Amino acid sequence: MAKKNRTPLFDRIFKPEHIVLDNGHTVDRPKSRTPLILVAFLIIVFISMQTTNFNLPRLISRIGQFPVILGQIFTPNLHYFDKVIPLLIETMKMSIVGTVVGCIIGLPLAILASSNINKNKPTLLICRFILSILRSIPTLIYATVFALIFNLGAFAGTAAIAIFTLSIVAKMLYEAIETIDMGPFEAMQSFGATTLQSFWTACMPQILPQYFDNCLYCFEMNVRASSILGYVGAGGLGILIRERTGYRQYHDLGTILLTLFVVVWAIDQLNNWIRSKLS
Amino acid sequence: MIEFKDVSKTYPNGTKGLQHVNLKIEQGEFLAIIGLSGAGKSTLIRTINRMIDITDGQLMVDGVDVMTLKGKELRKFRRKIGMIFQSFNLVSRSTVIKNVLSSDVPDMPWYKTMFGIYSKEQKIKALEALDKVNILEKAYSRCDELSGGQQQRVALARTLNQNPSIILADEPVASLDPIIADIVMSDFARINKDLNISILINIHHVDLALKYATRVIGIRNGEIVYDGPTSEVTQEVLNLVYMGKAVPKSTDKIEIEGMVMNNG
Repeated sequence: MAKKNRTPLFDRIFKPEHIVLDNGHTVDRPKSRTPLILVAFLIIVFISMQTTNFNLPRLISRIGQFPVILGQIFTPNLHYFDKVIPLLIETMKMSIVGTVVGCIIGLPLAILASSNINKNKPTLLICRFILSILRSIPTLIYATVFALIFNLGAFAGTAAIAIFTLSIVAKMLYEAIETIDMGPFEAMQSFGATTLQSFWTACMPQILPQYFDNCLYCFEMNVRASSILGYVGAGGLGILIRERTGYRQYHDLGTILLTLFVVVWAIDQLNNWIRSKLS
Repeated sequence: MIEFKDVSKTYPNGTKGLQHVNLKIEQGEFLAIIGLSGAGKSTLIRTINRMIDITDGQLMVDGVDVMTLKGKELRKFRRKIGMIFQSFNLVSRSTVIKNVLSSDVPDMPWYKTMFGIYSKEQKIKALEALDKVNILEKAYSRCDELSGGQQQRVALARTLNQNPSIILADEPVASLDPIIADIVMSDFARINKDLNISILINIHHVDLALKYATRVIGIRNGEIVYDGPTSEVTQEVLNLVYMGKAVPKSTDKIEIEGMVMNNG
C-alpha cells in the first residue's frame, strides 16, 4: 500500500515548490520535467548522429549537386519514352494480377482471422500469426527471394505483390469484419445455416464495399511498389530505373518518373471514381 | 410439443439463467413469457433451438432430446424453428426479398449461395411470405429504407419462409411504438391461428401479452412462478412475477390506442 503513494523519483530529487496562499492553504507545484526530457532528447540525437556518420560540412559542400541532378530529372528526355512503355505495361500487368490474386486469397484468410466468425482459437491465432509475419516482411525482400526461386522476371514480382497484398487486405478486412452487426449472422444460425453460409449471406453484404475499397487501395500501392521491384530483378520499370541511375542518365530517369507519376495519378482518379460509385 | 424436464442453466460466470424449469407446450399454443429484464426469458427461449446450451435436466422438442443434437443434425433441427429478434437482425444493406430468401440458404448448394442464385419457385414462395405479413409492395426496397415495424414484419416473413412449426420471438415489439407493436402482435396471432405454428414470445408489454396470447408464463430469477391461461392472470400474479412492484398503468393508454386502431 505504501508503495502506491510513494512520490516519483523525479520529485524526490527535484523538490516541488511549496506555495503558501494568504489564507494558509498550501499546494505543491512539481518541478517541470521539460528540461530533463530536452536533455535526454539531445543526447539521443547526438548518439544517432555519431552512429550514422552524419556530416554537416559535407552536406553543405555537396548540396550544389542537388539542383544539377534534379534539373536533369525535370528536363525529361521524351525520346526515351518508347523504351518506357513496354516495361510500364509489364509493371501494370504485375500489379493487376498480383492485386487480384492477393485480394482473392486474402478474403478466406480474413474470415479465418476474425474472432467473431471463427470461434476456434488455435486456427484463429495461427492465422493471425501467419498474417503478421507476412506483413512484416517488405515487398522488396519477397521479390528478391522469389527472383531467386522463380528466376528473374515479372513472375517473381507478381508473386511478391500477391503475397504482400493478401497480408494487407486480410488484416484490414478482418478488422472490418469484427465491427459488423452480428444480428443477421445470429438469425442465420438460428434457422440452421452453417457458419460459412451465415457469413456469406449475412456478413458479406456488410463488408463488400469496404473489401473493394481495400482492394483498390492496395492496387494503388502496388503500382508504386511494383515499379521498384525491378531493382532486385523482379521485372517491370525498376529494371530501367536501376539501369538509368547506374549510367547517370538522369534525363531518362526523369522520363520514367514522369510516366509513373501520370499513371499513378490516373489510377488514383479512377479509384476515386469507383469508390464514389460504391458507396 | 416442447417439454422442459427439470431444466437448469448456469452460465460460466455463475449466473443462474434457469432453475428447475418444468413446462409442457402443445403444438399451436401462443405463449407469452413475462418477467423482469434478466429474469431468464431470453435464456428460456434460446434453449429451445439451442442457441444456448442447458446445463441440467432434459429438453424435448417434438420427441427429440435437444442436447443430443450436434453439427448437421442440430442445423436440420433448427430449420423447423423460426426466431424473431428485438433488433430484427436483417441485413440492412440488402433488399427485403433477399433477406427473406436467406432462410432458404441452409438447403442450397454452396455455389448457389456464393452467387446468390435463387430459383423462381423460391422467389415466389418468398413473395408469398411477404404477402402474408402485408408488406409485399416493399419486396424490392432496401431494408434500411423501412420503418422498424416494417422491418420486423420482414423478419417475420423470413421466418415464415422456412415453414417452421415453432416460432420463438425474443422481445419482438420492444423497439416498436405501441400502435405498430399491436399490429405486429396481431400478425403473430393470425399466423398462430392460420398456420397452427406454436409461438413463444418474450414480452414486456403485459397488456399486449394478455390481449393476444392464450397462455402466460411468468418467470422470476430463472424460476417459473406462473403458468396458466391468460384469463387467470390477475394483479396478484403480476405482482408475483414483477417481485411485488406495481406494474405501471400503461394498460389504459393502450386501450385508447386500441380504440384508435379499431376506428381506423
